Amino acid sequence: MEEYYLICEDSLEGVFTGIYDAYLKKKPHGQVHLCVGQEDNYRLFAVYEECRPDEGKAVKVARTIGRELGHEAYMSICRALASPQPDKGEAVYKTVVAGLSMKNRKRVMGNLKNPYIHRVFELARFTANEAHYHVEFLRFRELENGILYAPMGPKNNVITFVVPHFADRLPLENFVIHDTLRGIYALHPAGKDWYLVSGAQGEPGGRDGLENHDSLPGAISGKDHREPVPGAPPMPFSEGEEKYSELFTHFFHTIAVKERGNYGLQRNMLPLRYRKYMTEFQEK
Amino acid sequence: MERTDLIPGDARKAGPAAVMQAEGMSLMEKLGILSDAAKYDVSCSSSGVERRGDGTGIGNTSRAGICHSFGADGRCISLLKILFTNECIYDCKYCINRRSNDVPRASFTPDEICELTIQFYRRNYIEGLFLSSGILGSPDYTMELICEAVYKLRTLHRFQGYIHVKAIPGASPELVRRLGLLADRMSVNLELPTAAGLKALAPNKHRKNILTPMRQIQQGITQNKEELTLYRHAPSFVPAGQSTQMIIGATPESDYQIMTVAENLYQKFALKRVYYSAFVSVNEDKDLPALPGGPPLLREHRLYQADWLLRFYGFEAGELLSEDRPNFNVLLDPKADWALRHLDQFPVEINRADYRSILRVPGIGVKSAQRIVRARRSGNLTFDDLKKIGVTLKRALYFITCNGRMMYPTKLEEDYLVRNLTGEKERLPFDRDGMTYRQLSLFDDQQEFAFLQAAGS
Ligand code: SF4
Repeated sequence: MEEYYLICEDSLEGVFTGIYDAYLKKKPHGQVHLCVGQEDNYRLFAVYEECRPDEGKAVKVARTIGRELGHEAYMSICRALASPQPDKGEAVYKTVVAGLSMKNRKRVMGNLKNPYIHRVFELARFTANEAHYHVEFLRFRELENGILYAPMGPKNNVITFVVPHFADRLPLENFVIHDTLRGIYALHPAGKDWYLVSGAQGEPGGRDGLENHDSLPGAISGKDHREPVPGAPPMPFSEGEEKYSELFTHFFHTIAVKERGNYGLQRNMLPLRYRKYMTEFQEK
Repeated sequence: MERTDLIPGDARKAGPAAVMQAEGMSLMEKLGILSDAAKYDVSCSSSGVERRGDGTGIGNTSRAGICHSFGADGRCISLLKILFTNECIYDCKYCINRRSNDVPRASFTPDEICELTIQFYRRNYIEGLFLSSGILGSPDYTMELICEAVYKLRTLHRFQGYIHVKAIPGASPELVRRLGLLADRMSVNLELPTAAGLKALAPNKHRKNILTPMRQIQQGITQNKEELTLYRHAPSFVPAGQSTQMIIGATPESDYQIMTVAENLYQKFALKRVYYSAFVSVNEDKDLPALPGGPPLLREHRLYQADWLLRFYGFEAGELLSEDRPNFNVLLDPKADWALRHLDQFPVEINRADYRSILRVPGIGVKSAQRIVRARRSGNLTFDDLKKIGVTLKRALYFITCNGRMMYPTKLEEDYLVRNLTGEKERLPFDRDGMTYRQLSLFDDQQEFAFLQAAGS
């Protein structure tokens, strides 16, 4: 019995294309598998095929998932695909297969006894939790030119789940959220829609909005390939930044009740790895 | 609704002390004094109202509330929690700001409050403002200043984030009304659970002056809900609801009295939330209890657990405690304690029991109960399935069956269960240094409880 392994790109488009191609095979789904990114464990007697991401195919799959399995399941799948775990493609593929074979398809995510659905549920939960942590703990710093800049280093690719929250909240601000691990920037020009830019390719111009700021930091507009690290902003901070970060840090230390000191609880609630990006935890 | 009447002409008059202090003191010093003085208020919740930004200003709110940091005491920091002033004409014995204390005094100006709120908010330090105050001059004078600050924040700065203000007991109903139209949440502190306690420790405050604004806010909220169904654009009045706080352990009330008061506040005053604050001794006073062991944190914790049972688990105060058993068990959380006294209602069959009964199983939280009910639609659940969907069985296993079978052979017998439920961890939760909240919260879905608790929602 021949096993097929479809190797897809690590993106929503890549995996959705993979699912489309898997259905095209017209083989029992048990014999077809999706791998994301590089497969390093080649098996004998298995057929490996590369899937080139194809927007048309991906859109069809996305529509089918949304229509047949419902919005909730679609969002879970998107969140699961933001995970860095290599088995996510296979889990999503088999979840779609299982969902489409159910009588009540909209209930697919409740069927946690199915190991693939369970895995999608779990991966989606990791992403949702991490996205929520960033809604809480992300910190903006004001740069010299008034732009608010927030670096982060998430395990899952959460940026698209985080930006809408801030776009609604800070509509009149120019702000940038920077995923320092993936080199992705979300740019929000005041009063306009936000968009993503990949640091590697750069986006030297041509889009309306932020590039009209001559003073836009080089690293953000892609003119310069300095890799910003946490705490090292693309340009100096504004004067107000120093004042308000000191005020907040002072507030942060005063507001705790000494008699109730509880560092264990603090660590449970605020994992250490977020602190390197947080204003109130910066060493002076 | 007309809002132009909001800034009273005389708001800036007088307040000699405030004006004197304001000069020469830096914003940093003021913030230090006025946040230090505000820290004993336990609430920092930003929950209860979902509001998207309208695109013309700054801010939105989230129904569940959002924490932004956690202090060294492990409590959530969600709001810029400050006093307007720590001047006070009253002399409440438990309070650091009482008139007879010799402490540095400071007052903000309304503009300083706006500046701090906006600058902190745009950096994502906070969800909004929690403004409380000592009483400067008179209750009305203080409330006018608070109104001015909040009014400016809402109109001049178009701030649409969360605002919680404290109503000053004794302030006029008109000021309470104005403030209610600007704030998301209001609270009037009950301070002490009973009128007798209040009389003993807060001689200038009267129960009536606390309950009257509380009632007014409740009625305002009800009336506003009706208005909103008629006119969608009617301004909202305290949309995130009303809360209160009482100090635990400064006066001799029993847990049963306290829970009964809380139940009444939920039922008769429709409060969103009652907070319990373990008494922290800041003043030397013969009328205050000595607390050699520090603030009664375990007792506070049990009260919160019981409060949870009232609000989310369908329990009544009378089921948990009685005149004969007026205090919670130190060793067991109130839910396990209840279960041990009602062993006839167990074991509960996971595949058939109704949601309410599952919710009453020790170790099963609201989320787990919901997940169980959902997952069992697609077939009978086994213990393995329960684990897979994230139900913690450590405590629940003594009280449930799956398809008629228990997970291990165990006895439904009180002594045996007490031994097993008070594991090493929960037995001595207040170890000198080793105390963590996690150890304490062997309540339910631990994560959920610890999180909600710290989030103050
Ligand atoms: S009224 Fe009482 S509790 Fe409030 S600040 Fe004054 S002394 Fe303190």
